[in-house]
This record gives sequence, C-alpha cells and structure tokens, in this order.
Amino acid sequence: MPKALLAAAATPAVRFGLTAVVVRENLHFYDRWSAYLESRIGHKVAFVQRRSYREIMDMLEADELDFAWICGFPYVQASATIGLLVVPLYGGVPLYQSYIITHRDNPAVALSQLEGSVFAYSDPNSNSGFLVPRAQLAALGWAPDRFFRLSFFTYSHAETVQAVSERVADAGAVDSYVWDYLRRFQPEQVERTKIIQRSDLYGFPPIVYRPRTPPTLRETMARELVAMTGTAEGRALLDDLMLDGFSRQTPGLFDGIRRLADRVPRTPAAP
Amino acid sequence: MKLLRPQVWSLSVKLPLTLSAVVVGVSGVIATTIILQDHQRLNTALEEKALFMARAVAATAIEDVLRNDFWSLYKSLRQVATGLTDQARDSRVLTGMVLDSEGRVLAHLAPARHRLGLPLETETEPEAEFKERSLALRQGAVAWGVDGKTGFVEGMVPIMAADKHLGVVRLRLSTIELDARTRAVTATALGWTLALALAGSLLGAVISIRMVRPLSALNHAMERLGRGEAAGAIAVRERDEIGQLVHGFQRMAEELANKQRLEREMARDEKLVALGRIAAGVAHEINNPLAGLFNCLSNIRDHPDDATLVRRYLPMIEQGLSRIRALVQDLLIELRAEQAWEPADVLCLDELRDLIRAEIGDAPIELVWRNKAAGLARINKPRCQLVLLNLLKNAVQAMPDGGRLELETGVEGETLTLCVSDTGIGIPPENLSRLFDPFFTTRPSGTGLGLWISYRLVVSMRGSIVAESRPGGGARFLLRLPIDGGPPVREMPT
Repeated sequence: MPKALLAAAATPAVRFGLTAVVVRENLHFYDRWSAYLESRIGHKVAFVQRRSYREIMDMLEADELDFAWICGFPYVQASATIGLLVVPLYGGVPLYQSYIITHRDNPAVALSQLEGSVFAYSDPNSNSGFLVPRAQLAALGWAPDRFFRLSFFTYSHAETVQAVSERVADAGAVDSYVWDYLRRFQPEQVERTKIIQRSDLYGFPPIVYRPRTPPTLRETMARELVAMTGTAEGRALLDDLMLDGFSRQTPGLFDGIRRLADRVPRTPAAP
Repeated sequence: MKLLRPQVWSLSVKLPLTLSAVVVGVSGVIATTIILQDHQRLNTALEEKALFMARAVAATAIEDVLRNDFWSLYKSLRQVATGLTDQARDSRVLTGMVLDSEGRVLAHLAPARHRLGLPLETETEPEAEFKERSLALRQGAVAWGVDGKTGFVEGMVPIMAADKHLGVVRLRLSTIELDARTRAVTATALGWTLALALAGSLLGAVISIRMVRPLSALNHAMERLGRGEAAGAIAVRERDEIGQLVHGFQRMAEELANKQRLEREMARDEKLVALGRIAAGVAHEINNPLAGLFNCLSNIRDHPDDATLVRRYLPMIEQGLSRIRALVQDLLIELRAEQAWEPADVLCLDELRDLIRAEIGDAPIELVWRNKAAGLARINKPRCQLVLLNLLKNAVQAMPDGGRLELETGVEGETLTLCVSDTGIGIPPENLSRLFDPFFTTRPSGTGLGLWISYRLVVSMRGSIVAESRPGGGARFLLRLPIDGGPPVREMPT
C-alpha cells in the first residue's frame, strides 16, 4: 500500500461542508470528487451536508469543518472570522447573478408585477436567493415582507425551482448557476419556469476555510483545487459541476454583496 | 300449461332443480357473506390507511405550521401521497391538504388551484360541509363521500399543540380501486356459485335417475297389473325405502296373482256345480211330466178295454209332452242364442213390435213403443231381440186383465238403456232376489228359464239388468248395454 494512502487512512479526514450553492443530490459525484482530492492531498476528504447556510456557518465557527462551499452573503457577514480559499470560475469569470423566476404561464414580466403573490426564497443567508430580491424590492420602494402575500424558504435553489414549477409559489429567486445547471441536467422542472429578471453580477459563492485550519492544508487544498484544470480527471469533475475551474481571489470580489447587505435592513427572516 | 304446474313435473326434473336451488341458495349466501366481509375489511383497511397517512403528516406538521414553513408542509404531504402511490395499487390519493384553524390553505396537493394562505375554496355544498367538519374536529376521523363519480374516503387529523388547534390535515383516497376489487371478488364468487350449481344439478340428475328408475319400473308394473297382465320382475339393487317399496309391490303382485288363480279355479268349480244344478233341474222338470205320462200309460195298459181312460188321459199326456217340448225348446233357444252374433242398429228392435201385438191379441193392453235410441247405437241383434222378447212376453202375461206396456230406449253417454215396464201384478219383494235363478217361476206353465237366459245374455254383452217392482203396481226391467254392441261372442256366465 502506498505511503500516502496509509497516511490518509491514519489521519483524521478533512471535512468539507456543502450548502445550497451546489446541487447536493448527486452523491456519486461527491464520492468521485472526494476520492480525487484524497489522492491529491493525501488526506481523506469527507463532504458534509446541512440543510441551511446557518448550520454550516455554525459548524465552521465551531471548528467542526475545515472548509466549506458557502454563499457570498454569509461570507461577507463572517469575513472577520473565516478566510477566502478559492472562488469557482463560471463562464470563465468568478461571477454569477440572481434570477427571478415564475411559472412559464405567469403573465408577470418583472418583479414589480408580483405584488400579492407567493414567493419562494432559498435561504435567509443566501445572496441570490434572498438578499438580492429583497434589495431589488427595497430599491423599488417596497418593504419586502409587505410586497408578497406570503413567502417561504426552500433551503435549496433546486427546490425553489420545484416550488415555482409546481405553482406552490408564484415566483422565486434562484442562483443563476444552479438554474443553468438544472436546465442542463434536470430540464423537466426548469422548462416549466421562466426568468423574468436578472440581477447584477456578484462574486460567485466561494470556498472558505476556518481560521484554525492548518495553513499547509489550506495551501495544499487551494493549490489542488486550482490545479484541477490540469488533470483529465479534474477536468471531468469540473465538467460535471459545469465550472471552468477554481481561482484565487481577493475579498474585494464580494464588495457588491457587502454593499447590498448594508442597504437591506436586517429584518427578521421569517415571513 | 303443464310447465307451470310443478306438481306434474317428473321427479327427474324436480330433484336436480331442488338440489340446484339449494346449492345456489347456500353458495349465494356464503358468497354474499364473503363479498360483504371482504368489502367491509377493505373499507376498514382504506379508512385506516387514510387516517394513518393524515396522522403521519400531522405528526410532523406542528413545527412547520408554527414556523409557517409552507414548503416543508407541502413536501411532507407530497411525500406521503407519492409514497402511497408508489407502493400500493389498491388506493390512490385524490387530494390532500393542510388547512390552518381558519380554513386557510397551508399546503395543498393541487397548489395551482388552491393558493397558499387563501381560504380553501369549496365549489360544492358537500365540500363546504367537509371543510366545516374537518375544522371542527379535535381528534382524527374518517369520512366517506363522492366527488363527481369517484367515491372517496378522507382521513382528517387535527394539528394540535398543547390543546391549541393549529389546523387540520386532510387526505382523500379514491375508492375506485376498492370497488374494482369488490367487483373482482363478486365475479369470482358468482363464478363459483354457478359452477357449484352446475355440479349440484349434475349430482341431482344422477341421484334422481337412480331414484326414479325403480319408481318408473314400479309404475309400469302397476299399469300392467291394472290391465290384468303379469306385473313382471322389477330389477332393483337398492335396499332403501324405494327398494322396500318395490319388494312390497312384488309381494303384493304375487299374492294378487295367487288370488286371481284361486278365483278362476273357484269360478270353474262353481260353473261345474251350476251345470250340475241345471242338469238336475232339467232332469227334475222332465221327470215330473214323465211320471204322469207313465202313470197314464200304466192305467191304460191295465184297462185296455176302457175307452174312457184314453179320452180322459189323452189331454193329460198331451199336456205332459208339451211341457217337455217347451223345456227343450227353451234350452235350444238358449243354445242358439249363445252362439249368435249379428251387429245391427237398435232400430232392429222394432221388428218385435208386431210379434208383441200378436201376443197381446184382443187383450185390453195398450202398447207404448218409444225406440228413441234408434240410429244412435248398435247391438247384438239376436241376443238383444231374444232378451227383449222375453221381457215383453212376461209383461203381457203379467197383465191378464189388461193394462199398459211400455218400451223405451235411450242413450246415456256410452250406455244404451232399454226399459220395459208394465202395469201388471208386479213382483213380490221376496221374489226379486230369485227372479233370475234358473227354473224359478210363479206361473204353472212357465219353465223358469226365460229370465235366467235373459240375464246370462245381458251379462255376456257386458251389460246389466235390474228388476223393480213399482209402488203403484206393475214391474219395470232396466237394461244397460254398451252402445258399441259388445264383443262378438263371449263366454256366458252361468
């Protein structure tokens, strides 16, 4: 047995948190990815899933995770305590946007026409699924919780698409990357929806580390993630994620989100 | 209509029918019971399922309702409904919902039609009642109903948190699958009932054939016995009641045959006795005049010269010989008539009218002749004429001082009646029973054979003769004969 694998089996696993920014249902993909990362960094890698951003953030702060793939909004909220590792490249850039979607039969063509309807947010700590639409409504002069008759959280961009396609909600806000991903891999539900509004571009949900993650591990992980484009297996994994690669970025990438967060009053999330 | 009267149906029809009816009845009752029980069991199972599913949703709903987590409510509702649809084919979720205590929709399986947060729209009166009822519930219940053409059972479970009513979970399952299952069970039961009835009928047919065969044989034997033929042997293996009946019948038939043989023997003996009696009577009747004749001859021989004796005895001798001749003539007539057979219409009796007129001569006797049966019946002419002539002559002789003699014929159904009545001296009651005996006579010159011969001739023609003494004086003889004339020649009774 190679020494590296023996070491990997002996040392505690590297724990990697996942949130709604990626489609989490494809468990085989994460098995392959963890196996790939293990072979590269010499550590066992375990992906950890929780329902909400909040839970993942709590685990990071409690040192239960080494890394996590989170949204830009929780990152800017916790940027004092967590570090930015890498940012995925989507369409060649580390940026994405928020889509306002409705059922394709809904006559509305803009967010402003959705007054009195039922709205699906993804997560109260989501940028594209919560912060952006609320900021947009605030810009239109509406108190978001009064504009919609009802709103609820699905805690998953994919389920927001489901809620809208099944007309449980009239409209919802989703991550452009997830919507595009679903349109390619699970088109039935996406095809029953339509995009009525696209937001400005924001920093793509980043991969972060906790302060106490060993710097060598941080560096190894960052290096290997960025280097994925250099291996055939890495490229295949990136293809499955519909990403072009991972890149090192500065926290300034998320200033747009930071400004949004400052603008939108921190009202209680519950509808 | 014979078909409509079961009492004339053959046993070979009635027995299989009865058995089939019993089998159909019994299996029908059993099948109905099974169908009803199965239906009841399925109903109960469906009710339990509806209630269980609603409870499953309600159990996790409290937190979601309190937090307004509409998406979780919707997902758990869907999960329960899809889970059922995937695993079971015996029921289908028609609809399902979670309402708050005010009747607003918190989750609905038809989200496009029933919008979140709005009061549940009820399009029909029963639906409104269902809604009211479900909101009033404080513990789980099931309800049956019909939506359009689809029957359903609905499980309703309130969402309660520490005595506070938060809302209600309603899940509605279709009964179409249940009804289809009941129909399938009914079809199976019906098939079995028919199969059993068929088997019962076949069994009944076999049993009845085995039962009826000896009975039919018995019936035929009894018919043969009735016609006077031998009953014949009846093959029967059974030792049951029918077997005993057949054996009993055979014993009876044997005894009857013995009795008939004995009777025949007795009749032959009687005939011989009667013949002896007649021979003795003839001998006696001839012997009396013969004695007188020999007496006369003896006296004449003793006194050959006494011419007066010859004068005195000649009439006596003539009288004696005449009597013997009359006796012999009567016997000859009887012998001839015994062989005679000549069918003719009743009209031929009219030939006697002139003979009787001659017999009456100058006597003041009125003859009334009403041959009403003429042309309606046939008779054995020589025998009938002889009988009638005897009766008419007797009547004339019974009226030495004149009177009225009447003949009347008629037809009653299959019977020819001949009635001879007079207004003469009549018959004393004590003589009525001996009237037809041979050699019985009340007239000094009579042989006593006329009525005896008449009686025998009538009986030989399958007829009857009755004599009556009329209260106002006179006698009346009534003959009854078959209108077809009787058999050509039949042995005469003695």
